[in-house]
Amino acid sequence: MTFFAKLSTQQRTGAVILGCLALFAVAEMLLFSIDGNQQFLAQAFASPDWQAPLGRDQFGRNMFARLAGGLRISFTLSLICVVTSALLGVLAGVAAAWRGGWFDNLLNFFANTILALPGLVLILVFAAVVPGSFVMIYLAISLVIWVEYFRLVRAIALNQVASPALQSSMLMGFGKFYLFRRHIWPALKADVFSLAAFGAATSVVAMSSVGFVYVGLKPPTPELGLMIVELFPYYHEAPWLLLEPISLLFLIVLGFHLLAGKSR
Amino acid sequence: MKRIEVTNLTIHSSEGVIINNLSLSVSENESLTILGETGSGKSLLALAILGNLPPMLTVSGSVKVDGKEMLEMPASEAASLWGTTLVMLPQEPWRALSPLMKIKHQIAEVFRYVKRATPATASEDTHQLLAKVGLEQHAQKVPAQLSGGMAQRTAIACSAATGADIVLADEPTKGLDTARKDDIIALLKARKTKGCLLTITHDVQVAKALGGKTLVMQRGVVVESGDAEKICSQPDSAYARALINAAPENWPLREKSATTFSPLITVKNLTLTRGNQTLLEQVSLEIGAGEVVGLYGDSGSGKSSLADALLGLLPVSGEILFHQPLARHEKLKLYQDPPSAFCEEATLRTLLHDIIKLHKLSPPPLDKLALELGLSPGLLDRTATEVSGGELQRIALLRAMLLKPKFLVADEPTSRLDPITAEKVTRLLATKARAMNCTLLFISHDIHQLNNICDRVMDITSL
Repeated sequence: MTFFAKLSTQQRTGAVILGCLALFAVAEMLLFSIDGNQQFLAQAFASPDWQAPLGRDQFGRNMFARLAGGLRISFTLSLICVVTSALLGVLAGVAAAWRGGWFDNLLNFFANTILALPGLVLILVFAAVVPGSFVMIYLAISLVIWVEYFRLVRAIALNQVASPALQSSMLMGFGKFYLFRRHIWPALKADVFSLAAFGAATSVVAMSSVGFVYVGLKPPTPELGLMIVELFPYYHEAPWLLLEPISLLFLIVLGFHLLAGKSR
Repeated sequence: MKRIEVTNLTIHSSEGVIINNLSLSVSENESLTILGETGSGKSLLALAILGNLPPMLTVSGSVKVDGKEMLEMPASEAASLWGTTLVMLPQEPWRALSPLMKIKHQIAEVFRYVKRATPATASEDTHQLLAKVGLEQHAQKVPAQLSGGMAQRTAIACSAATGADIVLADEPTKGLDTARKDDIIALLKARKTKGCLLTITHDVQVAKALGGKTLVMQRGVVVESGDAEKICSQPDSAYARALINAAPENWPLREKSATTFSPLITVKNLTLTRGNQTLLEQVSLEIGAGEVVGLYGDSGSGKSSLADALLGLLPVSGEILFHQPLARHEKLKLYQDPPSAFCEEATLRTLLHDIIKLHKLSPPPLDKLALELGLSPGLLDRTATEVSGGELQRIALLRAMLLKPKFLVADEPTSRLDPITAEKVTRLLATKARAMNCTLLFISHDIHQLNNICDRVMDITSL
């Protein structure tokens, strides 16, 4: 609870939104475990009822189950992308600041090269190599967003590495891990947390974006971006169906962005 | 005619009284120096005169500038006096100047936008003003390329450009070495003839040199006031006496012992470069085991770099020979700015326990050690930001003592402390180093301080 107490009102709102979405995604799986891919063609575009509280799509599939499945995919992806890119970015940033010299130059060159390419294009290229692969999308997104961590962490760590506090601990014989934990990480953690929340939103949007252009996950996977594209032709008959994945995508991105704000 | 008149000013914060029933006045062509230690409410007084007190304080009494009440004046009206009647010289001016602008542009801006001069006149006036403060060679530099003294002279030039004739100077000589101090004092004195001057300082030398009236403040109360000459030579109050005695040149002289020391470090033909700049060339010296050595020099003369080289923190060419091999943690350093030398996240006790755990020391009686250094043990349960600079410097000494160092560098350890605390810390350092039989290299720009506590003083220019 101490973590929640440190958050500002804005961040709490974000945390509550994300909490509700996660609860929906997990509870559906544990309590109902409806197969979202099972088709009931006779019930296409059926209005909400007790069996399918959010209605049925063009193949009569249960939207309640499909949306929960989409959320599970989005959350899983954002979580592993954020963990990977944060670990990579922080390690590389600290190492570059600490070692300096050619090592720093090399990493900077690599980071600048990635930054010079539009992120989405890079993700599209990766996704197009092995279409429909979750792993490729994950690798591509992580590759794009770790650079932000790297640049921020390097800039902050440069100051810390040169600080008398770190020098004095080093003189007293402390090892690298202690120096990192006591002197570098405290200066980084707030910013890394903000970046992680933004990075989560970015990865969710990126996966949906490749879904829009059909190079992401393949049907019948209930991925939010893919669902939006699939339901788009039917917006006259069933506008509420199209609105459902859009609102979820909106809420998940809003939640992460609110969470990224300044803590108290 | 009274330019500044403060009557019965009392300022409270939520934690208690900061200034208690203070009255003072400054007339035309007069200089008043307020002398007191850090945290005695001096800087708040300057803000009260500017009409710029933080809103969460409770204020009573009256502060008049040219007969106008500043405490009740709306903020915009008070601000309209800044730069026209009142001007303030900030503490540590390099933080008040724009880091990105050449100094001549910063001064020219004052002429342009405060005095509404044309660009041509502004540039000409700037030129004259820079010549007057002796900075014409440096007009094209940005603040990072200036020394502390030059930055302070730039700030004085900016304030002079405004033409405001009431000058408030807040610790104008803080962190400057002796020669630079004299320059600043001369410039401030010149301003007195054109209006009046109110200086806030904890340096008795400054009060004496500025002359005029002096007022001694301790914990928000005026303990003595009168003529600067008299207060600086024969003060009545105990506090003023303590302040004067704390100035290094007034310390009782220590008897020099005739001990000879076996050498610990021998340096031969050491050359230090940083970038393209050669800091030291062909330096040779010797430091004895258990000796307390002073290293004297002006700021920017390479004192700290030499010490860092001895600690093995800088690449050098030349020879540094240790006559007995020392482990990494036996060569330690105390820093100029104590808060920057501690991790702020954990309590001081946790940090000390980290050291004990790392070196598997038998748990020393931390509280007893703290008491020996004149610290209350409760301080150890705070973080570095929650104790004063003087206390933290003593905790830094305690931290170093845990490891029983053989070679300790103290890099201007007292230059940011007020004189009374500085004297205590200086003496404590020398005493403890001698008790541990630890070689102490004490770096300072105050030759009196070094002469007093060291077995030997080296001047960096003669090495």
